[in-house]
Amino acid sequence: MKAFNRDTGRIGEDLAGKLLQEKGYAIIKRNFRTRFGEIDLICKDGDTLVFIEVKTKRGLDFGSPEEMYTKGKAERVKRMASVYLEGGETNCRIDMVAIVLGDDNKPERMTHYPNVILW
Amino acid sequence: MLVKLTSVAHVGLSSVPVDVEVDVAAQGFPGFTVVGLAGKAVEEARERVKTAITNSGMEFPGKKITVNLAPADLPKDGGAYDLPIAIGILVASGQLLVNDTVTNAVFYGELGLSGDVRPTKGVLLVGLFAKKHKIKEIFVPQGSAAEASVIDGITVYPVKNLRDLMGHVMGSAPIARLKRKKKEKTEDDVVEFDLSEIAGQEQAKRAMTIAAAGGHNLLMSGPPGAGKTMLARALPGILPPLTPAEALEVTRIYSVAGLLSSGTSLMHARPFRNPHHGISAAGIIGGGSNPSPGEVSLAHLGVLFLDEMAEFPRSVLESLRQPMEDGVVSIVRVGAHVSYPASFTLLAAVNPCPCGYLGHPKRPCSCSEKQVRKYRSRLSGPILDRIDLHVIVPSVETEKLSGQAGSVSSKTMRETVIRTRKIQEKRFAADGFYTNSQMKNKHVKKYCALDGETHRILKLAVETYDLSARGYFRLIKVARTIADLAGAPAIAVTHMAEALQYRSAMGNS
Repeated sequence: MKAFNRDTGRIGEDLAGKLLQEKGYAIIKRNFRTRFGEIDLICKDGDTLVFIEVKTKRGLDFGSPEEMYTKGKAERVKRMASVYLEGGETNCRIDMVAIVLGDDNKPERMTHYPNVILW
Repeated sequence: MLVKLTSVAHVGLSSVPVDVEVDVAAQGFPGFTVVGLAGKAVEEARERVKTAITNSGMEFPGKKITVNLAPADLPKDGGAYDLPIAIGILVASGQLLVNDTVTNAVFYGELGLSGDVRPTKGVLLVGLFAKKHKIKEIFVPQGSAAEASVIDGITVYPVKNLRDLMGHVMGSAPIARLKRKKKEKTEDDVVEFDLSEIAGQEQAKRAMTIAAAGGHNLLMSGPPGAGKTMLARALPGILPPLTPAEALEVTRIYSVAGLLSSGTSLMHARPFRNPHHGISAAGIIGGGSNPSPGEVSLAHLGVLFLDEMAEFPRSVLESLRQPMEDGVVSIVRVGAHVSYPASFTLLAAVNPCPCGYLGHPKRPCSCSEKQVRKYRSRLSGPILDRIDLHVIVPSVETEKLSGQAGSVSSKTMRETVIRTRKIQEKRFAADGFYTNSQMKNKHVKKYCALDGETHRILKLAVETYDLSARGYFRLIKVARTIADLAGAPAIAVTHMAEALQYRSAMGNS
């Protein structure tokens, strides 16, 4: 089951990467690991550095992907982002991509939320 | 970019300038922080401001936003900072150009999610603050702007919504300044009872006239159904309207308490408060971490009516002592030390005993002596000592009930009261208060010279009834009012004798 979930996440990240590239984002790094966890995608949108958290769900039986992006998760992404920045300040933001997968691993819905701030 | 705007915080009835500094950073993680001892309501300003800006057709910047409310050590609460924060963000993010309008004005108002500016309490104080600090323009919610319209020398802009305000700042669609109302139509307040509707009770009515004329405290005791409450309800009908100076004082308190109805500029009718006896001590004297005025302050320059006074908790009654004596109430909390004016006339009604029929001509009293004593002891000596007039309201005989009602109407009575207040107002013009009851001892010595005979009676009374020093001065003040009612320049023996009659009724009802 655990592995199954990881597959879902991997598929979602691939889909999100494609979606963002279509939007003109340049992908810099995937699965940037820190001791707090990992950042799914790091991209450049023009001169803005964008940290992307991808949330993938298989069907909506257990809630929407948006619901999974909680305050705690947001805090963690922010902390991981500061690790990546190593204290330097640039123009940056955090985006979220919500993906709902159908049974055939095809996306039923993909939504990109630029600049998600949870305070 | 950093922008600094001015707003106002209220501590009691005084106002303190609050600098609202808004910084929209070019770098760093997007976020929105409010610092400066912001209370819960100010913390939540973030959600209101963000949504209001978006719904007003502007862009909420996805940048690192920091708002500082200075001074840092003063606790701030309420929604009034929404407006300066929103304008600050728009200017700091380059969506509004900075000009003198923004930097030289006071912004004050709570935002709704749609961008509408909601009525906010304390607008009158904002106006007074602006005048004192020589700030020319204030931007306040449209619903409360009338409060500030009475102040000369400042321009009041009533703001309906954020979009209108942006139009004004950009100069594309200036908001019309609020015109000062020349004369508000003062409709005669509808009074529940006219004195002429109340049969008999001539002594009580006389005592009410004295109380209304001089602002003296009055205690009515009598069996149930005799008309105590009805008499009390008739009192607002004989109270004189507020003078302009008084109106400003009272309106300030109501503005801070947020009790002015929308569109009201100044209050005209004297306050008449009758709290239920379930009230707490904090409810009566005021309370909260940033203390808001209680019933005693809301009754300032008006009447505080305590129906069934013996049913009030002891702590509530005893908390009345300080305001009854000094006319102000000081509330101390961890974060603030606040004084509110509380110069009210106490009107109280009690039954003589628990069953209510002690001393009734026909119905027997079913209370034991112990019960009566216990009931009486609820009103402590210090409180009774502060009540100048004590009347017994007996049950009304049937012949009187069906016969001719009272002879005097509230209207004539009110005229008498107004005339008497005028005399006092003239007398105390230089002293900064309005009625005989507000005299301090030094004023009593100055304005209430007694001739030899009157003084002899007074001395006799003090010895016979064992009057306290306070009782002595209060007696003279009542005599002064009775003399004023009669239009007499000096207090005569008859005036003193009448005053004594109300005091001596105490304790042997």
